[in-house]
Amino acid sequence: MSSSSHLSVVLDLSPSQWHLSSLSDTTSSPPCSLSLPAFLSQLIVFLNAHMASQHENSLAVFGAFPGKRHVCDSLVMLYASSDAVEHATPITVDANSYPPFKLLDTSLVQAIAAELDALSTSHADPSPLAPALVGALTKALCYVNRVSFSPSSTTTTTAQPSRDGQSPQSDVTDPRILILSVSPDLSTSYIPIMNAIFSAQKLVRYDPLSLLTLIFQLHPQKVTIDACQIYGAETVFLQQAAHLTGGSYLHLERRDALLQYLLMTFLSPPSIRKVLAVPTQDRIDFRAACFCHKNIVDIGFVCSVCLSIFCKPVPVCSTCRTKFPYKTVQRLKALGAPMAANAESARPSPSATPQPGTPLPDVISRSRTTSGVLPPGHPARNGGGLPSMARSASAFNPSS
Amino acid sequence: MPPRKEVGFMDVDSDSDISIPDDIDAPRRNKGKGRAKAGDKRKIASHKAKSNDQAYAWEATYTRSWEAVQEDEAGSLQSSVQELLARGRRRRFLTLAAPIRRTIIRHLILILDLSASMMDRDMRPTRFDLTLQYAREFIAEWFDQNPLGQIGIVGMRAGLGERICEMSGNPQDVLKSIADRHKLEPVGEPSLQNAVEMARTTMSHLPTHSSREMVIIFGSLTTCDPGNIHETLDECVKSKIRISVVALAAEMKICRELCDKTGGQFGVAMNEGHYKDLLFELIPPPAQKALAAVAGATGATTSANPAADLMMMGFPTRLPESSQPTLCVCHSELKSQGFLCPRCQAKVCDVPTDCDICGLMIVSSPHLARSYHHLFPVKPYDAVPDLIGPEPLSPTCQGCSKPFPTTVSQTAIVSDGMSPVGRYRCPECQHTFCSECDIFVHDVVHTCPGCAK
Repeated sequence: MSSSSHLSVVLDLSPSQWHLSSLSDTTSSPPCSLSLPAFLSQLIVFLNAHMASQHENSLAVFGAFPGKRHVCDSLVMLYASSDAVEHATPITVDANSYPPFKLLDTSLVQAIAAELDALSTSHADPSPLAPALVGALTKALCYVNRVSFSPSSTTTTTAQPSRDGQSPQSDVTDPRILILSVSPDLSTSYIPIMNAIFSAQKLVRYDPLSLLTLIFQLHPQKVTIDACQIYGAETVFLQQAAHLTGGSYLHLERRDALLQYLLMTFLSPPSIRKVLAVPTQDRIDFRAACFCHKNIVDIGFVCSVCLSIFCKPVPVCSTCRTKFPYKTVQRLKALGAPMAANAESARPSPSATPQPGTPLPDVISRSRTTSGVLPPGHPARNGGGLPSMARSASAFNPSS
Repeated sequence: MPPRKEVGFMDVDSDSDISIPDDIDAPRRNKGKGRAKAGDKRKIASHKAKSNDQAYAWEATYTRSWEAVQEDEAGSLQSSVQELLARGRRRRFLTLAAPIRRTIIRHLILILDLSASMMDRDMRPTRFDLTLQYAREFIAEWFDQNPLGQIGIVGMRAGLGERICEMSGNPQDVLKSIADRHKLEPVGEPSLQNAVEMARTTMSHLPTHSSREMVIIFGSLTTCDPGNIHETLDECVKSKIRISVVALAAEMKICRELCDKTGGQFGVAMNEGHYKDLLFELIPPPAQKALAAVAGATGATTSANPAADLMMMGFPTRLPESSQPTLCVCHSELKSQGFLCPRCQAKVCDVPTDCDICGLMIVSSPHLARSYHHLFPVKPYDAVPDLIGPEPLSPTCQGCSKPFPTTVSQTAIVSDGMSPVGRYRCPECQHTFCSECDIFVHDVVHTCPGCAK
């Protein structure tokens, strides 16, 4: 149990979203609001709890700010437990506080304040909401890569000889990333986010020295991504990130109770969560949206060159300009036509009596119209082909 | 475990002679012309041309690689070794250049030599055991990078081609087929022609937009064929099958010819580490231009876009763990988890796969997304030549926030793509990264932390 746990926290610090969050929410029955200062104080309690739970635990905090001049300026490393000694300004030691906590709190708050000041002085640019979250996530991965796989690099760089031996860095066993987000999904960041998820799934060092590769493939290091959507609508990307990496996703109903959510769900390292009842999500939908109309499709047509998804057979790919053979398009159109016709005929009258022997168009059209998540009582949710057949039979019986 | 330890030591030894892997790799780029050119090139014999353009190690000029290694100020060789490593890693990125079309949907037959020669102990513990171990890693990694691909396995044993695993898109199925080494005990002579014929017929029905590939791991120096293997080779060229060979013993003319004529890669493994490198080089999706060039050379007439097609795919509904258990169509087992085929509502255990009932290709959107990084790669970073620049350089790496070394390394050669100051700059966002992050971003993440693209 002596293994340490590394936590990287990615903070979404978009001022406009935080402003919206600080306004009292009248739609929920007990009105709740969470302003940035209140958020920070709750966050700091959580971070202190993480540091206190084990002496070897390490921490890094990344901030994602909306783009200033450039996207790249918008992510800042706010705090790292390993680098803290070097860049922290001398702080006044308070007799009533534990110095490491004090160090963490002051450096984090100072860094955020400095960044927000810089943000307000440089005027708002026409393109708001740059996908800073992706950059911060990728940066967090780079950092995890460094702290968990750098047995060699620490000894070679001349810049940090003092830290050798002090922090046994290869002991990090449970690296995880917690994303605290307030912004909605940005569709342009889909591919980078998926890339980040896949690299978190298997963070293996590639090396021509296959000795290292061998070792790491024996003990593949996985990074767990936890996500918490504090304000705003559910984000599908973060849901997928948490699901694919085995983490938890939480969409807060009462955001003023953030600290409790954080402590109950995200404090325990992934190895311990197996014996705890942390919230899991079962309802993630991995169906794709077509590139042409952004519809959720069940059966799509995919370009073999660039993997673009279309809801109808098209002669030319709109992404890569590839012309498809005429024969294929014809064949697929012929294949797709009866299906679409069935769906169309079923859609205007969903209450029509199903024809004997054709239960499928009804199911297809229903699952299409539910736009993603199926209702709990839907036959497609409850089981495979058998219950759906049983259901169609029972639906047919009264009429016959 | 003692054998693994030895693997490591061999690697370290081989790295002192770091120019040799290039010599072996070179023919792949030259497509067999390297040997003809070798004579002229020897006269030029410049430092750079030597390592790239010669086909064989014995035709290269003598390298005194140990003279390049210098002690640093503390008298340690560690920094030099690190630099050699980093240089080797960076070299791969320099070859990345113009946009190329890659084959995303791949079909691969892995042909394993199971002849008596695989019991040789020149690779530890034996060629056979090492091959099985590497094959497992290869398959896992291959499916990870090519989630829409399929692999089948054919063995060469006792003069016959032996089907070990049918074409399958499920890594577990494929791995299970080679899990038991006692079923694969090597015996007799290998037959290249039989195995290639068997693999070729297995792939003959595949659509044209997918690639057909064979990877042959060949340990023997002989092949025992019933007919003319050149006819088999012509058939493979005609059906556009790309054959790559990793030889464990020595180069054979027929193996080289198989690769050259079909546009594949050929390599002879020198040691365990090099064997793995050769094998794992075959994992990233191949560029399609090589295939087109081969087709053009043989005079085969192809349509304007032989490799593009529209595919019909189903995106299944995932059943949650709490749903009622039902039988799956693939194993007839009672399970609650599964995926529903959107066309026929049959329940399959795992995606991606072809629906057992209606034959629809079932994928989930993350599988498509997993292939996107091949299509939108990160631009290679430029090495920063010195510390003087128009803008003040950031003191820490943009990726991992590690402080950059402040001293200029004396031994780094800029022409190798190494930065003497240990900084690499993204051409898009102009941020600087350390060597570690450069590798990590390009090999694993495929997203630049600076520009988030």
